Amino acid sequence: MPASDTVISTQGLTKHYGRVRAVDGLDLEVRRGEIYGFLGRNGAGKTTTIRMLLGLIRPTSGTITVFGHTVGAGRQDWLRKVGFLVETATAYPNLTVTENLDLQRRLTGAPRAAVSEAIDWLGLAPYADRRAGRLSLGNKQRLSLARALLHAPELVVLDEPANGLDPAGIVEVRELLRGLARDRGVTVFMSSHLLVEVAHLADRIGIVEAGRLVEEAPRDVLAARARDFVRDTFTAAEREEALLTGDLERYFLARTGAAAKADPTVGGAAR
Amino acid sequence: MRRQVVVTEFLKLRRSAVPWVSLAAILCGPAAMALFMWIIRDPARAASLGLLGTKANLTGLEATWTAYGSYLAVIVGASGMLLLAFIVAYLFGREYADGTARNLLALPVDRTWFALGKLAVAAAWWLVLTLIAILEGFLIGWALGLPGYTTGLGLKVVTNTLVAAAASLLLVPVIAWITVWTRSYLAALGFALGMLLLGDVVGHTGWAAWFPWSIVPMMTGMSGPVSAVVPWSSYLVLGLTFFGGTVAVMLQLRYADNP
Repeated sequence: MPASDTVISTQGLTKHYGRVRAVDGLDLEVRRGEIYGFLGRNGAGKTTTIRMLLGLIRPTSGTITVFGHTVGAGRQDWLRKVGFLVETATAYPNLTVTENLDLQRRLTGAPRAAVSEAIDWLGLAPYADRRAGRLSLGNKQRLSLARALLHAPELVVLDEPANGLDPAGIVEVRELLRGLARDRGVTVFMSSHLLVEVAHLADRIGIVEAGRLVEEAPRDVLAARARDFVRDTFTAAEREEALLTGDLERYFLARTGAAAKADPTVGGAAR
Repeated sequence: MRRQVVVTEFLKLRRSAVPWVSLAAILCGPAAMALFMWIIRDPARAASLGLLGTKANLTGLEATWTAYGSYLAVIVGASGMLLLAFIVAYLFGREYADGTARNLLALPVDRTWFALGKLAVAAAWWLVLTLIAILEGFLIGWALGLPGYTTGLGLKVVTNTLVAAAASLLLVPVIAWITVWTRSYLAALGFALGMLLLGDVVGHTGWAAWFPWSIVPMMTGMSGPVSAVVPWSSYLVLGLTFFGGTVAVMLQLRYADNP
């Protein structure tokens, strides 16, 4: 694989908080144009990794390169190519949706029209003049995603992008990210603790546990392993319950909008 | 991009309640002084106002332009040590309280510009507040018809007040650093309040010229008689405090973990 096809690369990435090893010798490689799902339980080290990728915290040891630039050295001009959402949806509560995005536009050098485009894209038009502090959690998440995508980044780093979204909203965001990768060649690095979320979207999946990458494989390979695992270890009742959960999600989406048609794979992770 | 940082910081401040709260607070100072002047210039009025009249007399003020003008510098100096500290703690602390600090610090903008932008916005708003306080003070002083006004005295009042405002401005980068370091308003506000009290104490020990938070009170007579000549060493101490605080906040934003 040519070096230019690697967007994110980490070698031996480690972060200690006192005696706690939040990230422990992580080696990652994310390729241009792919959707990489970074899957792990709460506290597995996903957010710490993302914060190190963005230069918000410094690794204890190891190196990170993004677009060939070493993170933490000199001016962070490469951040111009990166859109991000870290952990929770945040915005200036006393500024409107439009003002929040205009702030981001000014600081990233995006064109003026990018604000209205992002508002339309994320379905925020009805709330454009509403203060961010008065938005629902789901719409705050949309605003954060709009902020992340406003300046047409080449890499999008998303920490739990489905947080706070209802099932229909999750499907919309899923489609949006899929479209970004497919139509614009944007690389997406997304973390989640929801297997179903990552399984629907990612081309490759890395599973992190206790700060270590315990498995990494293309989605289809991992799905096949998961099917075998379910077949070999689940009881019939457990398998039935997993199917029911998927069917209920489909039914809910069908009753609340057209989202289910937009994504026929919803709820199908267990099949 | 530097201009955009300052523009966005102005926008964030303008859309918050802080400009109005700080304006209301600064307007109260000269108004309260004027109320006391109005009371004490007429002993019969002071007697008829009971406790308020007694308090006004206890201040030992004289209802003259000289006394009124000197207290204008005290008001601005004290406000600078507390109100300006509040403004700076808000500008830096809100980013942590609202969770927006990480959005800001992962932008393709040199982080030191965020620190400088916020300090520039605080300085600009503080200048506006100081000028408003001076204007209000003069308008009320003239409306009260206080005796002893001369152009020379007026210029001296303006100069002393602006110097007190500038001196208190030099103290606030330390407040900014504590806010960024602790990622919270509270420690910074506690520090500002503590330094106001400590500055008063140190002012009575003979070391006022060397302790940054005693210098503004020494200049204005906040905690005793006004120092006729402020030694050059005090300006040096203030300059070093400003420099040290500014460098500290820049380094904190640039090199420390900002989770």
